[in-house]
Amino acid sequence: MTLLSATGISKRYGGLMALSEVDFTVGAGEFVAVIGPNGAGKSTFLNVLTGLTPPSAGKVVLGGADITRSATHKRIRAGLGRTFQHGRLFSRLSVIENVMTGAAIRPERDAAYVRDHSRGILASMGLEEVADRPIGALSYGQRRMVELCRALACGPRVLMLDEPAAGLNSGEVELLMQRLTSLREKHELAVVLIEHNMGMVMRLAQRILVLNFGCKIAEGAPAAIQSDPAVLSAYLGEGYGNAGS
Amino acid sequence: MRPHSSLLAAVAVLAIGGVLSVLLADYQLRLLNISVISAIAVIGFNFAFGLAGLISLGHAAFVGMGAYTLAIVTTTLGLSPWAAIPLAITLTTVFAGLIGYPLLRLRGHYLALATLGLNVSFTIVLTNWVGLTGGTNGISNIPDLRIAGFAFHDERRFLWLAMVFLAACTAAAVTLQRSSLGRAMMAVRDDEIAAEMTGIDVTRIKIIALCLSAAFAALAGALFATHVRFVAPEDFSYAHSIVYLAMLIVGGEGTVIGAIIGATLLTFLPEWLRFLGTAYLAFFGLMLLVILIFLPTGLVGLISRLRRGKRASKWGSMP
Repeated sequence: MTLLSATGISKRYGGLMALSEVDFTVGAGEFVAVIGPNGAGKSTFLNVLTGLTPPSAGKVVLGGADITRSATHKRIRAGLGRTFQHGRLFSRLSVIENVMTGAAIRPERDAAYVRDHSRGILASMGLEEVADRPIGALSYGQRRMVELCRALACGPRVLMLDEPAAGLNSGEVELLMQRLTSLREKHELAVVLIEHNMGMVMRLAQRILVLNFGCKIAEGAPAAIQSDPAVLSAYLGEGYGNAGS
Repeated sequence: MRPHSSLLAAVAVLAIGGVLSVLLADYQLRLLNISVISAIAVIGFNFAFGLAGLISLGHAAFVGMGAYTLAIVTTTLGLSPWAAIPLAITLTTVFAGLIGYPLLRLRGHYLALATLGLNVSFTIVLTNWVGLTGGTNGISNIPDLRIAGFAFHDERRFLWLAMVFLAACTAAAVTLQRSSLGRAMMAVRDDEIAAEMTGIDVTRIKIIALCLSAAFAALAGALFATHVRFVAPEDFSYAHSIVYLAMLIVGGEGTVIGAIIGATLLTFLPEWLRFLGTAYLAFFGLMLLVILIFLPTGLVGLISRLRRGKRASKWGSMP
């Protein structure tokens, strides 16, 4: 069943067409990756879905409700969650306080619940020990994980991750993949992943959407995408499959 | 959150005030009263500037609105000052909420200029609406605060009352700062987009911060009116807004204790440095520059840094 759908999404900046009639759906518990070269419009697409950028045309529907004109915070309360390419944590707040800003999304939650819930999320991601530290005391990888915890604390139905593996070492990427898989299975969470790490994309994604110059050039299962001539030519490179990567 | 911490802060304020009320002479008590009133205004300003990051140069207008509301309704309508205080707070807060909607669409120096314009317009209205405000002559004979015939008319008695208000404001501000609302304000200041992405309604939080700021300012203004028993436009000029900003920066923005330290220090400093004569202003400017460059987190930041250093050296000496 479709949870989030975007139909005919276009975004024009003056003479530049950043997105051109892109259609997209993701269902509950589904893992969809959005890939493409730099400047293909992937982050713009996430911005349109989350309301940071209004589309020039098209419609966004979440759980049957049209959210095309809804403010970002309303979309988050309705069940969207997102992390950013360069990580955007609140530097004046501690680790747990960052997560608590997300957990406090429902006004009926009392302070004790918000704190306990946040601590629980941090513990599930292996960050319990750093809960009371300032953000500045964390490693880059830990900061990315805290941002993920903050997004999870909002209780999303659809989680959008913008290059979550960027800057992480191979061990941290492996850990991230394990946790994303477990989250999806445990909470029936729909995940939309933008990523350049093809190993991660091919291992996690059930479906891949490929953008190039703002247009959707392919969509399908990882095996089909890996051998799609248009994708090989625009992004993966002709030798992708042969190199075994 | 530790609920007792706000209570502890309030008790500390009352204890310090109680001791000082016995030790100080009348003139120093007058200065202390002015610094307590300023501290309430600056604690309020901390919500807008220190927590939510709204660069406002119009805080004195909210203080003035509180003071003039009390002055007008007590002298012309004969209302009790006790009834006038909540009225002054309500009117000023509603005004801040209404003006906040258009004003808070602006950011950074545009917001600073717009709020500066608000303060300048406010004093022009005070000066020219002679029928209501008395113009440049101001309003005199404002009644003092009394409880069952006990008048808070001299400096020592007023200090006891002002300290109770300051303690209550301190406790309320500490509680609010540690609540989800306080965290949301800090999140908005740090990164508006990330704040939206955690479900925070950024516009609403900014308006709440401005309203809280205005409410505390109005209380400070109302207390000022009953303390001095006279109000005039020059007491609420934009220069006073800049002083409130300086008090918060010197003390330490984002902290309640910083607001109190900054307000006290900058009220007493001109007296301590009276021997410098007109050179005081040069000293004041230089001091601000030094603090901005070397102590961007103010005196509270310096104290925290010293405490951290002491702790680190203690750990360093351990086996």
